[in-house]
Amino acid sequence: GVTLRPDVYGDRGLQIYYNVSDNKTWEGLVTTLRNYLSAYTPAAQRLNINCTGDTYFIQDTFDGPNKTKLSCKFTSDMLQNCSGITDPTFGFPEGKPCFIIKMNRIIKFLPGNGTAPRVDCTYVGDKSRPLEVDYYPVNGTFNLHYFPYYGKKAQPSYSNPLVAVKFLNITRNVELKIVCRIIGAGITFDNVHDPYEGKVEFKLKIED
Amino acid sequence: IQDDHKLSTSELEEKYGTSIDKGLSSSRAAEILARDGPNSLTPPKATPEIVKLLKQMVGGFSILLWIGAVFSWISFGIQLAQGAESPFDNLYLGVVLALVVILTGIFAYYQEAKSTNIMASFSKMIPQHALVIRDAEKKELPADQLVVGDIVEIKGGDRIPADIRLIFTQGCKVDNSSLTGESEPQSRSCDFTHENPLETRNIAFYSTTCVEGTATGIVINTGDRTVIGRIASLASGVGNEKTPIAIEIEHFVYLVAGVAISIGVLFFIISVSLRYKILDSIIFLIGIIVANVPEGLLATVTVSLSLTAKRMAKKNCLVKNLEAVETLGSTSIICSDKTGTLTQNRMTVAHLWFDNQIYSADTSEDQTTQPFDQSSPTWTALSKIVTLCNRAEFRPGQENLPIMKRVVVGDASETALLKFAEVILGDVMNIRARNKKVAEIPFNSTNKFQLSIHETDDTDDKRFLLVMKGAPERILERCSTIMINGKEEPLDSEKAEAFQTAYMELGGMGERVLGFCHLYLPENEFPDTYPFDTDSMNFPTSNLCFVGLLSMIDPPRSTVPDAVSKCRSAGIKVIMVTGDHPITAKAIAKSVGIISATSETVEDIAKRLNIPVEQVDRREATAAVVNGMELKDMTLQQLDDILCNHSEIVFARTSPQQKLVIVEGCQRQGAVVAVTGDGVNDSPALKKADIGIAMGIAGSDAAKNAADMVLLDDNFASIVTGVEEGRLIFDNLKKTIAYTLTKNIAELCPFLIYIIASIPMPIGTITILFIDLGTDIIPSVALAYEKAESDIMNRRPRNKKKDRLVNEQLAVYSYLQIGIMQSVGAFVTYFTVYAEQGFLPSTLLGVRVNWENNAINDFEDSYGQEWTKYQRTYLQWTGYTAFFVSITIQQVADLIIRKTRRNSIFQQGLFRNKVIWVGIFSQIGIALILTYGLGHVTALNFTPLRFQYWFVAVPFAILIWVYDEVRKLFIRRYPGSWWDKNMYY
Repeated sequence: GVTLRPDVYGDRGLQIYYNVSDNKTWEGLVTTLRNYLSAYTPAAQRLNINCTGDTYFIQDTFDGPNKTKLSCKFTSDMLQNCSGITDPTFGFPEGKPCFIIKMNRIIKFLPGNGTAPRVDCTYVGDKSRPLEVDYYPVNGTFNLHYFPYYGKKAQPSYSNPLVAVKFLNITRNVELKIVCRIIGAGITFDNVHDPYEGKVEFKLKIED
Repeated sequence: IQDDHKLSTSELEEKYGTSIDKGLSSSRAAEILARDGPNSLTPPKATPEIVKLLKQMVGGFSILLWIGAVFSWISFGIQLAQGAESPFDNLYLGVVLALVVILTGIFAYYQEAKSTNIMASFSKMIPQHALVIRDAEKKELPADQLVVGDIVEIKGGDRIPADIRLIFTQGCKVDNSSLTGESEPQSRSCDFTHENPLETRNIAFYSTTCVEGTATGIVINTGDRTVIGRIASLASGVGNEKTPIAIEIEHFVYLVAGVAISIGVLFFIISVSLRYKILDSIIFLIGIIVANVPEGLLATVTVSLSLTAKRMAKKNCLVKNLEAVETLGSTSIICSDKTGTLTQNRMTVAHLWFDNQIYSADTSEDQTTQPFDQSSPTWTALSKIVTLCNRAEFRPGQENLPIMKRVVVGDASETALLKFAEVILGDVMNIRARNKKVAEIPFNSTNKFQLSIHETDDTDDKRFLLVMKGAPERILERCSTIMINGKEEPLDSEKAEAFQTAYMELGGMGERVLGFCHLYLPENEFPDTYPFDTDSMNFPTSNLCFVGLLSMIDPPRSTVPDAVSKCRSAGIKVIMVTGDHPITAKAIAKSVGIISATSETVEDIAKRLNIPVEQVDRREATAAVVNGMELKDMTLQQLDDILCNHSEIVFARTSPQQKLVIVEGCQRQGAVVAVTGDGVNDSPALKKADIGIAMGIAGSDAAKNAADMVLLDDNFASIVTGVEEGRLIFDNLKKTIAYTLTKNIAELCPFLIYIIASIPMPIGTITILFIDLGTDIIPSVALAYEKAESDIMNRRPRNKKKDRLVNEQLAVYSYLQIGIMQSVGAFVTYFTVYAEQGFLPSTLLGVRVNWENNAINDFEDSYGQEWTKYQRTYLQWTGYTAFFVSITIQQVADLIIRKTRRNSIFQQGLFRNKVIWVGIFSQIGIALILTYGLGHVTALNFTPLRFQYWFVAVPFAILIWVYDEVRKLFIRRYPGSWWDKNMYY
């Protein structure tokens, strides 16, 4: 499953509507992001280790404290422009909002078959203008060293790796349908029954 | 009331505008026909087919399902308005419930229509014709074209086509049994003999038969205005009682409804206090009520009943009304006809007396020889008289038929004698040809004898042989000698005494006795050419030689005594109701065991003790023979006394109306009464009875219409089969219902716990339907094939008030014991599946709101994994499938334990009922198909379950079996104990 932050659900799935000139309409969204990222401050991540390898972090032994396994650090600064550090409003007032994409934890799941899976956002359907997106971290990848997940008991301080997307050319006052897929071997996004498997779809409308 | 019998011929001609010689004119007849309508009985107002069909779809069980359907739709409406997630489940549920009722209704309708068709094929006899004089010509017309004033001619063998005032008769006798039940033919003449038109001799009634002779008469009543027509219309005034099984099912419906509403209301209160929204609580309430409806049971019960009906039809009991299948099983009194039902409906020679000795003849249905000693020369002489002094003849062209089955032209006694002679001597016609008849005086009521004179086939003996038969005392009067061992001996008082004793003895057995005598006419007085003149009787008719007596009776069917004794051991009282004479009735009753060998009537006791009848203590007499005349003067109280105090009762000389009174009397005792009958006159009693049984062969259409069941072979013994089948189906329906109710709890508990503990829904509506209308159907029908646990024909009929189909014990045991065990087993599977997939039981409690929230797509489980909404739903379906599978597995155990209610399974045998195994395999097969075959069809909410989950409930299945074996063991060990009273259902 893939989820989105901020997540505002309407009648039919995720609907993120706001007005740039009315900060009441987007403050809530920004707060959601800020709160969500509070689990990714260096302080919150202090129990996790710095990982550098670009391969799966396979642990057969319990090397962590209290017979646990180690988890890799993911801090919000890795999201650069969407970290909320440089821009505490996550681009919402400018009409270039940041969204955070996250994959659901699945125990012992090894996504991508050795290649880091990445996020790819597009308009749903045929849009003449391509969607301009900035991905953070670069290329919008989930580094392989966050996988596999060994479960709550083995990795009590594990945090999901995140990818932030910043939409740059959103047409104002139009409801746009956007889908962000996770591209990677072993990740399917064509389950007709499950709209949140391997992708997240949402409607975005920015008014001014 | 008409006075046509008092009018003279010319008055009649005038009254009806007809002429005896010319009859009506065709045009006049057509006018009257247009005015009066055809001469046929209006069939009882036939219920339109569509009404019959609709009737199958309401009442009893169906009501329960309809209520369920309506509730489901209400629920659907509310949910749709609320915008709930899957409101269509309730719509489908309602549709399925309605479909079940409609399809079952159509099935039941079809079954009953089939029986009706079989009957219709019986009644479509050759259309009747009547010989009518019209336009001064004799014409053969269909009988229904007759009109008042028509002149008709009748001869022996014809059915009387309308009520007829006779104006010319010759030796005419009619059999009024279809009207009065009296089997003795009655003579008819043109004379006005009685004020009462029913008693006078000069009227012949519609539907009776002319046995012999000829007659001409004027039609005075046609169609429904005939006497029989008026009796037939009586039947439509008699209300139809509810069948016992219908009452039982109603009781069951109340019980289920009671349980459903109490649980529903209880949980409504609980859910309101748990702060569910009122509307949600109402949905829960409806859901609980609907969940209690056993969807499959209506179909199962109907199929089981029709299976039994089919089985009974094979044994010659055709059931018109499916519910009547069971009625015979609860029957406690059978009021049976005598003639044709208990007896073979044909006179047969039963005893002979010659050489001072009584011989018994074989009276069975298929006799081919007679075993009594035939070596005496007296027998040779007697057989000659029997053969020659007889006018009856076989219809030609029946040489290949067994003798007893051949059709004979002649009256009942002569027929009996003819067949008797044919069996012993062979070709009677040939013997008669060789002994040429030279003179004959037929029987008449003044002489009371029949005489003929023959040449003999003995070429050395030129003497003529005079043979005579008739009423024994009249014959004896004409004799001066008696033949003993072939020798003529003088008839002294001692020998006359022996004759009297034998005559009394045979008469006392209710038999019709005939005496036989002969005389060889001296050759010198009666040479070859002697002109015998029957008018002047120029030959001796006295000082004859008495040869012997033959007595005849309509003998009981050979299967009847056994059947009666079976009824007796089954606690069913058999009462004989007949129009016949008390003596004959009593004799037959004794010979079939309706009056047992040791019991006595008041009259018997009086005779034995040699005291007047009034002094006899009536309580001492177990048997009673009640005459119709006595019955007429009895108060209801007196009748009740008789029915109560005597275990063996014969009603003789009863009229059709009295039959109704007797049936009502029996019903007042709280008995379930079965009545057999064949005549139109029986139809009121047939209708009044709890189960009316009409005769298929001899029965009239009116009787068959009024009856619930038709005996295709007219044989009383078939009723016993019916009783057995009826009792068996009652027992087996208990088992079926117990089986079906059990899993209702396992289907209901999930919903209740869902409400209280807010866990993800353990089983879905559609899944439940697949159990109730899928896996469980064949097994529950299979229980209908279960053999009886003990001899069901050795116990008393069930007590209508106490032995309910569904009693408290059955409900408690099924719902609260096995049902709860099953629920636990299923929940263990459910929790196992969820735990293995990531949700430990503790995380499931109270999770409902978030679980069902579409906006949560990273729902965390006990291991830290995250689930989208669909993944959770899929897991929920897996849970449904697991729940379904474990109910199925445990239902296999439930099925096995339900085979018996008291005996161990090992006593009953696991493999005797093969259909149970068909049931088990079908159950598992359907479950496999649903799980693995249709597991990918999302709409059905099944998922391909991991194979190991099939086995989680197995220990519980074993537990159910062991638990029930223990229950049965204690019941057998400690009869009458607390355990027996509370655990036996």
